[in-house]
Amino acid sequence: MAGAKSGESVRVFGVRHHGPGSARALVGALQAMAPSAVLIEGPPDANDLIALAGDDAMVPPIALLVHQSENPAKAVFYPFAEFSPEWCAIRYAHASGVPAAFIDLPQAHRLSATEPDAGGEANDPDTHANEPRTPRDPLDIMARAAGHDDSESWWDHVVESRRDSADAFAAISELMHEARSSIGGEAPDAFNNLREAHMRRSMREWLARGHDRLAVVCGAWHAPALEPACWPTAKADADLLKGLAKVKVACTWIPWTHGRLTRSGGYGAGIRSPGWYEHLWLYGSDVCDRWLTSAARLLRAEGLEASSGSVIEAARLVRALAALRSSPRPGLGELSEAIRAVFTAGETAPLELIERKLIVGERLGRVPESAPMVPLQRDLSKLQKSLRLAPSAAQTIKALDLREATDRARSVLLHRLLLLEIAWGEIADLSGKGTFKEAWTLEWRPEFSVDVIEASIWGSTVEEAAAAKARDACLSAKTLAKLCDLIERILLADLPPALQSALESLAARSAAECDAAELLDSLGPLVNVTRYGDVRKTDVSMIAGVLDGIVDRATIGLVGACSALDDSAAEAMFASVNKANSALRLLGEADKLERWNGAILDLARTRSAHAKLRGGAVRIALDGEAMERDLAERLLSAEVSTGSEPVHAAAWLEGFLHRGGALLCHDDSFFGFIDRWLAGLSETTFESTLPLLRRTFSDFESSIRLRLGEKARELAGPSAGASSAGEAGELRRFNRERARKAEAAVALMLGLDPEPAP
Amino acid sequence: MKPAPTVEKRRSADAPRETLRGHAEDVFAAELAELAKRDHKPRPPSWRLSPWATASYIMGETFDDGFTITPKYIGNRRLIEVAIATLATDRALLLLGVPGTAKSWVSEHLAAAVSGDSKLLVQGTAGTSEESIRYGWNYARLIAEGPSPSALTASPIILAMREGKIARVEELTRIPSDIQDSLITILSEKALPIPELNIEIAAHKGFNLIATANSRDRGVNELSSALKRRFNTVVLPTPETAEEEIEIVKLRVASLAGSLEVPAEPAGLEEIRRVVTIFRELRSGETEDGKVRIKQPSATMSTAEAISVMTQGLSLAAHFGDGSIKAADLAAGLTGAVVKDPVADRVVWLEYLETVAKPRASWRDLYRACREIA
Repeated sequence: MAGAKSGESVRVFGVRHHGPGSARALVGALQAMAPSAVLIEGPPDANDLIALAGDDAMVPPIALLVHQSENPAKAVFYPFAEFSPEWCAIRYAHASGVPAAFIDLPQAHRLSATEPDAGGEANDPDTHANEPRTPRDPLDIMARAAGHDDSESWWDHVVESRRDSADAFAAISELMHEARSSIGGEAPDAFNNLREAHMRRSMREWLARGHDRLAVVCGAWHAPALEPACWPTAKADADLLKGLAKVKVACTWIPWTHGRLTRSGGYGAGIRSPGWYEHLWLYGSDVCDRWLTSAARLLRAEGLEASSGSVIEAARLVRALAALRSSPRPGLGELSEAIRAVFTAGETAPLELIERKLIVGERLGRVPESAPMVPLQRDLSKLQKSLRLAPSAAQTIKALDLREATDRARSVLLHRLLLLEIAWGEIADLSGKGTFKEAWTLEWRPEFSVDVIEASIWGSTVEEAAAAKARDACLSAKTLAKLCDLIERILLADLPPALQSALESLAARSAAECDAAELLDSLGPLVNVTRYGDVRKTDVSMIAGVLDGIVDRATIGLVGACSALDDSAAEAMFASVNKANSALRLLGEADKLERWNGAILDLARTRSAHAKLRGGAVRIALDGEAMERDLAERLLSAEVSTGSEPVHAAAWLEGFLHRGGALLCHDDSFFGFIDRWLAGLSETTFESTLPLLRRTFSDFESSIRLRLGEKARELAGPSAGASSAGEAGELRRFNRERARKAEAAVALMLGLDPEPAP
Repeated sequence: MKPAPTVEKRRSADAPRETLRGHAEDVFAAELAELAKRDHKPRPPSWRLSPWATASYIMGETFDDGFTITPKYIGNRRLIEVAIATLATDRALLLLGVPGTAKSWVSEHLAAAVSGDSKLLVQGTAGTSEESIRYGWNYARLIAEGPSPSALTASPIILAMREGKIARVEELTRIPSDIQDSLITILSEKALPIPELNIEIAAHKGFNLIATANSRDRGVNELSSALKRRFNTVVLPTPETAEEEIEIVKLRVASLAGSLEVPAEPAGLEEIRRVVTIFRELRSGETEDGKVRIKQPSATMSTAEAISVMTQGLSLAAHFGDGSIKAADLAAGLTGAVVKDPVADRVVWLEYLETVAKPRASWRDLYRACREIA
């Protein structure tokens, strides 16, 4: 049955992946041919999954995911849209009850290759990716010859947009035959040869099994090599395929998005306008008018003007344009130009909206439950269902009220996924403050399916996996700050067992930690944790002990850590001290504050500490009412006296008045404190201090300085003692000339005799 | 009809007083006639050329037998096709763009190609009145004979309606909004009622309107949305590549020098390249290699201005120099084109000269000449 005679019984359909024109023609051709089996260029590893395509719950865009069983990160995707010829072939086979099978070189061989980065996103050796661009793209040459910018628009024009191309396949095959021979013989590269050999071998096997009518669907490029008339001997193919390396692979169907189908998506499925193609596929006859109407409705929904009248005008323009360009029917180019000319009055911003929503189209496929899933995937989809948090390709913002059980569970799920490095949701900024609310930006990206499979090594449920991963991360955390950050995230993700071990490693690490800055920095997150605990109903009692230890160590190390620092180190330390201070004040536990204040007082008096830190310490102590004002005043005078180095004095003042502008404006006692000190300076001291003060005050915003000036004048007014003098000052500010005019008018209104002008 | 002002004819001694600038349909009469002869595609009613031939006329074409149509517009063919298709669908066309992007030029040539007449023009200004868009009265006649069609003075738009031709409105957004709106009836009803005479002037097939508007002054008199709906908009961009712009400047300078009868050698490509580079860099705010940021002047630095700098330079070279264009001939024009605001722009220009022009070795002469003036 094999050999030359089989020529009649095998038909090869060379298509373009994701080409609606190819798909339409293919469906017609298959119906006419009524094959006994449909063979498709695709990974045979997934042959068991083909049957699932018949499931009604399967909604394209979807992709076949083939990955190494051991290392899920090494993966390849075969995306299918509704208008993909391969998908149509599978559906046809299912509907007419004939077997369908993939016949490309198995991924078990291809993924085993040690080629660089076989699983990487960008350089994915995906069959669908490099199809039209195979060696020195021969189509490009033809496209240029026909006056098109690239092969895609040419193919579009010549093949895809036509609706009567039932017999185009023979022509395409012939064309490709020419193209293949024109770029140097029948053997462009070894890899394609291998693949084609495998496809031929599979075809032979199917023929040997007694199938007499085979339909073969493959990329147009391969079509000539698969025509039985051109087959080399079976032995030649078998020799080629001998001794290929092999790995274990696993496959599944995963949901895909239109965005991923575009070129910008990185997988290079090779089409720029899936939305347009889908439209072409869905609406045969009145493509243009429907497209323009959808565009108008889209613009209208965004509050832009696009009346039905404009749609009519645009439709006329599109037809005139197509006629002017001698093309059989308007294409996307004409439509976009008409939309720009008629709807948007030349504006380009609304066109981006059309590009995103219409030409690409935001759409996420669906995969039936029965598709093979790792347990973690199953758990995740169960949770998504029970929490009514369906994945969607469009970006949505969801606000969660953590006082409610469902919302809390949603938040926990999202936080757990974040721990697993699946960034489905990102915390968004929420306008109102309040610890019981949380806003998330949700966007499901298809590659998360791979991430989930990858994460499944950590456990079979989301909770288990997240906890295991967090524990592992705690063990490998290098710094205390990282550990604290992790603890915060673990708390948010509500993982008590992981928290326990995280706190253990925190205790161990903080005991060994000798960097006071790190200890200080860890206070902030830990205090946050204890506070969050109330909202999220987590047990935080075990944190208290750890916190206690850290405060102890930090207070003991504080003075030493602040000594012998250069300016930039002091700057960093200054921030740490301030953060720790506000954390401890927030916590408000008396005994810890007492220890902290003691350390701060020590710091203020330690000569060897950096001046900025000393100044800051005095300020902290003063704010916390831990230091007598007299003492503070004495320190202030001493530090800013003639005896001290001007640079140090300036640094001290900088630390002391750090962010003090607004405080000086509003806090009268602080203002009075500075004022008293300033007033008490002798003239010569004042003069030598002035540049330093000027330097510090110039850091304040100009509006603050202005208000400080006004405040000083206000204070000076009453202190001058004479209220009448103040009043006189007020009066002097009137413009008597103008006042007199108003006075006359007011007098007239009140019916008084205006005083004669002097 | 004026004599076709081809260069040869104008130079002949017996020519009477010549016009400074010929209309497109006169200057390119030969091309239009030849195209009409070769054009066998269907033409919309009253059109002198088919849409295909119109596109060839604007974009230029060389026929197999060597007959060449010069390109009138250098740029994206698709834009011109949209414009022509718009006219063919009897929708009015609005050409939008920053100053100096050949809006009026395209509009004139479109009218010349489609109706063979680019003279039916209303110039939009702040003082444009409703009479110049609709109709006015010959008051002597009005008083003598009472209201009658013969006492009516028709606007160019009425003339275009009667003859089925293209009317042009220049600088539409300079016209006050309430007067702009008098176009609405004409564009939507394709007719203009004259209540005084109780008659209506109906547009004949082939009538259409091309308006141009400056997208920089759009705020001056923004089109009402009712009027905007009557237009298809085509935005003419600034030239995309330096090569394209150099080509435009070269062609226009050559043709202007011809019509102004400047006895100078054609401008060297190198000079044009330098001027275009300066204009492009100041317009985009960075050097062509993208390495240096430059302040932008208040002027638009359009291609049209580059052309006038070149022609001014040519004329200086012809009358005061040795006939071939030198850096010094360009310096005055360049400075004038850049420095529109005597304070801010001068700083921009000096900065450009010092940071960009000076380090370029082959620009020494230009740098010195410009420094002398600035």
